[in-house]
Amino acid sequence: MVRRLMLLLVVSIIIIPLVGCQGISQSHRPDPDTLYVGSVQTSFPAAYMPWLSREGIAPTIAGLLYDSLFSYDEDSGTYLPSIGMDWYYVDENGLPILTEDGTIDYARLEEVYGSPEHQFLRIKVVIHDNITWSDGEPLTVEDVYYSFDIATNNTLSNHAGALAWTSDLRHNYTNGVLTQQGLFTYDRGAARQGYEIAEADKDTVIYLHVNKVLGSVMPLFTSVLILPQHVWEPVVSLEHQLNSTSPNEEILYRYRNPVGSGSWVLNAAKSNNQQIILHRRPDYHLTKEDGSPLIELESIQFMLYQEINVAIYALLKGHIDVLGTTVSSNYLRLFASEEDIFVSNAPGEFAQTLVFNVHPVSSERNPLRDLLANNDFRRAMALAIDQEELIEKVLDGAGRQESAGLMKASLVDFYNPRADSLPTDREMRLAEANTILDQIAPERDSAGYRLLAGKRVSFEILGSPGEQDLISYLQIQFQKIGVDVQYAAKGTQPESTYLYTSRFDLTLHGVSFSLSNIDIMYPAHFQTLGRTSNYGRLVNEELNEAIHAMRFTLNLNTKYDLIKAIQPMIAEEFYKVPLYTSNVISVARTDRFAGYQVVDGSTVLNSLTLESLRKTERGR
Amino acid sequence: MKYTYVIKRILYSVFVFAVVITLNFFIPRIGVDDPAERYYPPQGNMSEIEYEIIKQVTRKQYGFHVSTWQQYTNYLEGLSRGDLGSSFRPGSPSVLGLILERLPWTLVLSVSTMLIGLITGVLFGVLAAVKRGRWQDTMLLNASTIMIALPSFFIALILSFYLGFELEVFPAYTDPNMVSSFSWALESIRRVAQNAALPVLSMVVGSVISYAQGTRNAVIAVTNEDFVLTARAKGLKQGTIRYKHILRNSMLPIVTSLGMSISGLIGGQVVIEQVFNWNGMGTLFLEANNSNDYPLMMGIMILLSGFTIVAILVTDLVYVLLDPRVTVGDKR
Repeated sequence: MVRRLMLLLVVSIIIIPLVGCQGISQSHRPDPDTLYVGSVQTSFPAAYMPWLSREGIAPTIAGLLYDSLFSYDEDSGTYLPSIGMDWYYVDENGLPILTEDGTIDYARLEEVYGSPEHQFLRIKVVIHDNITWSDGEPLTVEDVYYSFDIATNNTLSNHAGALAWTSDLRHNYTNGVLTQQGLFTYDRGAARQGYEIAEADKDTVIYLHVNKVLGSVMPLFTSVLILPQHVWEPVVSLEHQLNSTSPNEEILYRYRNPVGSGSWVLNAAKSNNQQIILHRRPDYHLTKEDGSPLIELESIQFMLYQEINVAIYALLKGHIDVLGTTVSSNYLRLFASEEDIFVSNAPGEFAQTLVFNVHPVSSERNPLRDLLANNDFRRAMALAIDQEELIEKVLDGAGRQESAGLMKASLVDFYNPRADSLPTDREMRLAEANTILDQIAPERDSAGYRLLAGKRVSFEILGSPGEQDLISYLQIQFQKIGVDVQYAAKGTQPESTYLYTSRFDLTLHGVSFSLSNIDIMYPAHFQTLGRTSNYGRLVNEELNEAIHAMRFTLNLNTKYDLIKAIQPMIAEEFYKVPLYTSNVISVARTDRFAGYQVVDGSTVLNSLTLESLRKTERGR
Repeated sequence: MKYTYVIKRILYSVFVFAVVITLNFFIPRIGVDDPAERYYPPQGNMSEIEYEIIKQVTRKQYGFHVSTWQQYTNYLEGLSRGDLGSSFRPGSPSVLGLILERLPWTLVLSVSTMLIGLITGVLFGVLAAVKRGRWQDTMLLNASTIMIALPSFFIALILSFYLGFELEVFPAYTDPNMVSSFSWALESIRRVAQNAALPVLSMVVGSVISYAQGTRNAVIAVTNEDFVLTARAKGLKQGTIRYKHILRNSMLPIVTSLGMSISGLIGGQVVIEQVFNWNGMGTLFLEANNSNDYPLMMGIMILLSGFTIVAILVTDLVYVLLDPRVTVGDKR
């Protein structure tokens, strides 16, 4: 009996692979016009609310399906056309505040709006006149008005993010009633406000009133994806809001079949929570300079992988063209030996910093944490950090050193080299650090660690499991000045568990400052106490004043000068000390497509790549 | 006596389930950050009042605007109607709908693994016990030692790389259209079998060895019992002694293992599902956890705990049927 059953089992084991073999040998990238993109996520969204969540692949897809008014170019500090074609500040009479060469005249802006009686800035936006929605309807300023209007009217939008994006727009609702109008089109009161709009321009011109901060326009222009009024207005109501928690059939249908103005359209029938298929819009309004389509590629198929090693193997074996996910520098050697592989080792945007708990709440103070409040002690710790060694050991060289002022050196208009005043020679740094610490805690234990009141000077660094490697190297570097550091797991909710409550010594935090975000980020990181990124509760009145002045100046040149002045102040605090900025490493296959672009802070799947990709000989 | 035992066991299970429901509600809320501050940090020139409005809206959106007690009673009320709430995902799909969408696919893997593991394992176990000390037995013991050192995700990756990517014997990962295009046609079923082959194989190796080891030990223990000697002395056939006397009396540890595996049937194997992109309960829970989707997390936990409690209850009751000596335990 047993033998018979065993025989049956053996036969089954032979048969199953034979069944399994059938149909596996087909091409993994069957369509020559489709770019197959692997994405490492737990799931893809199955419904597409217009203003998607900020997690996973959702924002990438949203950015492909919808457009905002403008996009922002960090390097040049300018807004690039998208739905919007042009914009500028205007005076009370609607006249542009521009220099002769067509750029914003900041001196005049300050002159016109500098006095306190002017409570807001006036902006004129002109949009392209040839844009259509993916269902063929024309896009006009009424769609822009509708999008901003519903964003500010939470009773209809039920979207807190939209309220945040439009908080600087002087267009307000109270309990669903418009209490202050800050958007004006030909049909919506522009003439009453003294803004003349010719009838021929009525579909393309809109005026905005915004708070008196130069950064006000950033979220309005780049975060708010413009929605089709004709799609949403008929179905959105107080009972069934735009961001509905219990969508009815009509709203659900619109979530699943998005109508956008972006360069791509969703193939809803073939997309599911494991793959997303997008097709290029042949009638997209932006084109190349010669009038040819901006994008040559016909389709993109995003393939879900839940495990990074499987995704990497899928790329190496030709199942996908691009891995749209950042990979660790550990894989660089693996890719080096492969043919047809393009590695994008792009400079990163986020500086990894070591954050000191400089001013904990009184209940969390102790003698060791008091050391962290001592600027000299923090300076000694900063001197002990060797960014070059960390980049070499932790990132396998795939990273760059970061300025102590936390501003990218490549942003030449803003970067201030005076922030990097510490000596560069390693031996000199360690000698200076030990000299400082010999004044503060001269005694050492048998292992060479410094003692404070008989207790070893030892701190915990909050980090994630992936950061243990970095903390181990920091341990070695701080050991050289007699300071002990240990890894402490920060868990899944570090803000509420440790950071907002001052229950930590040191932590790691990625930061990225640029002109586009400093109005928000400088106060959040260095000024505001409470539930912000100022975890260590830094208080520096002089710095606060400089940040305030920088935020509220209407003169861009003054703003630049203040940004430069703030960097040495940040550096001298030794509060968020830079460790490195890691590169963004991603990979693609070059056997079917060529033209991949390396873009700072992005994976190889970026908008420039999509605009540049063309088929190779083998791919045709 | 037996009825008292059954009623006690049922009441105990109901009590445990009530505790689980309560813990299930409160544990995810420990240390929950304010969702508003998590998702929408203050922007630009926003005033405190404006930001407070945004925070209120977000709390309402996530159901944190009422007191915890009120949230708890709402939750119990929903449960009593079989409503596990709505997920935080775009479109707010119902938790029960999401679970029911994934559950069958997890069952495909877990039931196949359990059945193949049980049948093959018991056969191997009996064979090893019968051939005690010979190569069949030694092989099982060695395989058991190796399997302890090899986690299933490692086996899964090896199988995916070699049988999937290199040899292309089976799909290295699940076809993204498998679920959406499924019908009860033979071709569709064959496609599911193809895609399930490697995940099942990854899990079944450990399962076979576990059942085989348990069966082997139980069979050897029973073989030395007096009643087996008596059966032999009576001149019964070898087959009758093995299957009617020895195997039947060795079932208790196997039923225990089976009970444990039944309770794990619907939970899914997170790592295996991840490696093979299998859209099951394991990855659903992972998604819920990664996106702080508390209603979904709670819904899955309720279902898993309920199922486990029922499985353990049934196992306990089957014990009574198999071995009349196992009853109340406190009074004999």
